[in-house]
Amino acid sequence: MSPESTRRTAALVRHNTLLILREPGSIISRMILPLVFITLLRPLYEAAQGKVVGTEQAVVGTLVTFSLLALSISGGAILTERVRHTWERLRATAAHPLEILVGKSVPVLGTMLTQQLLVLGFGVAVLGLPVAHLQLLALALLCWTLALLGMGSALGALARSQSELSAAYDIGGMLLSSMGGALVPLSALPHWVRTIAPASPGYWGVSSLHAALAGDAARTLTADAVLLAFAGAAGAVAALRLRRGGGRSARL
Amino acid sequence: MLFAQGLVKRYGATTALDGFDLAVAPGEVTGLIGHNGAGKTTFVEVVTGLARPEAGQITIGGKDALREPRRARRLLGVAPQESALYGTATVRDNLHLFAGLAGLARRTARARSIALAEELQLTEVLDRPVGVLSGGQRRRVQAATALIGDPPLLLLDEPTAGADPETRTALLDAVRTRAAAGTAVLYTTHYLPELADLGATLAVAQAGRIIARGTQQELTRNLPGELRLRFPQPPALPDRLRRTARLQDGEWRIPSTDAPSDLAALLAAGCTPTAIDIRRPDLDDLYRSLNPTEALSHVA
Repeated sequence: MSPESTRRTAALVRHNTLLILREPGSIISRMILPLVFITLLRPLYEAAQGKVVGTEQAVVGTLVTFSLLALSISGGAILTERVRHTWERLRATAAHPLEILVGKSVPVLGTMLTQQLLVLGFGVAVLGLPVAHLQLLALALLCWTLALLGMGSALGALARSQSELSAAYDIGGMLLSSMGGALVPLSALPHWVRTIAPASPGYWGVSSLHAALAGDAARTLTADAVLLAFAGAAGAVAALRLRRGGGRSARL
Repeated sequence: MLFAQGLVKRYGATTALDGFDLAVAPGEVTGLIGHNGAGKTTFVEVVTGLARPEAGQITIGGKDALREPRRARRLLGVAPQESALYGTATVRDNLHLFAGLAGLARRTARARSIALAEELQLTEVLDRPVGVLSGGQRRRVQAATALIGDPPLLLLDEPTAGADPETRTALLDAVRTRAAAGTAVLYTTHYLPELADLGATLAVAQAGRIIARGTQQELTRNLPGELRLRFPQPPALPDRLRRTARLQDGEWRIPSTDAPSDLAALLAAGCTPTAIDIRRPDLDDLYRSLNPTEALSHVA
């Protein structure tokens, strides 16, 4: 990486971090709401599944559900650039597309990881959630966040308006998390949902986190590989869409 | 500094650029004019790499902009027609970003931001979010983001559209200063007097190609000026002049490429004006003479 490239990437990371910090409302709500959600619903899960399993389901399920809803952060970051024509402005500079992507992704990745660490930290520190393997858990969180980043970028690149993006992450987020067994354990869902569940990234997110908390390396790594595949596919869709003016839309 | 030859760009059935040729030398301000749809903005998009032409070549400072687009874009500062700034970030933040993207170190970026803000009268709003600025201030910020890297080629796409006189003056001064220091400037505008102010050479675009290129004097030489005459009573104009004459506010206006002989013809016909004003052709006449469907044969 040349010094100029480093400067450009650093400038983009700084700037995008600053943009996130200037409008923190939605991020704060995505961080506070899951904590409220866990606190209120944990008794229900404990009653249904017992103390340990119920607490884990409450924490993991909430983390996956609210991190899917946080697709608005990565999607919004790209859609806003398209709406305000700054995306094209960036493309008209000497910056390599990879530099723009890194500059955009690093702050979003940091925000999403912070959200998840907050939820998990709350689970561990306040609710006594046991963690068998910390490194595996860190890997699971990273892979899940990368999948979220990819999906969010694809949504941000494909959406033609803010309302389309909102509909996509509200409906899509809830659908994918439910399908994946985040809100209600898969064992309690109809057979047909269990059959199609692996099509949802949420399923692999839940699997990966449960496996990592239990210290099951094989299951964690399998789920993480699938999550990385989701991340790659979604990232490719976003990159193709944004290449050469594809980010424009008649509604923008 | 900028050399474009034979550019062709199609959008579906529409040919936006149809053999577009243009060269801008260091220190030269070139005014790219033409009606909407003439290909000006498409050309700017091609130069900035936002659109890829189907044919033709383009170099910036000797770098092939199609084969080495990022190397070429390092030499380029762009102020697009539409406002493209980060509204929640301050003016300073926006300037720092584009300074960083131009490869400037942070210290240099900070110093340049302050100097540019002073030059473009933005010092007082340097720490205000761009979203709360007036339209004119935003125009100046947009131009500042193009200037901050001190590029050898500036592309300013209607930089003063909708701007107040203060903004216009500040921007034109900034462009003049850069051109005097050797920066090549491509300037698109519908405000033609600005081009005269800048002493720009002109490139006239029509239907996706440049149909005329030269100084204002060269391009308006063969256009008709206008005789503006007042008569004590309705005149019996010679047939040749009556065909194009029109009466406006009590004044007869007659297009004329040869004022002395037309005046002589009037006097010979017994039409003696009480007031004579000979108006020379200007850029507005050149612009009006552009027919979107026909080439400008008399200046091409």
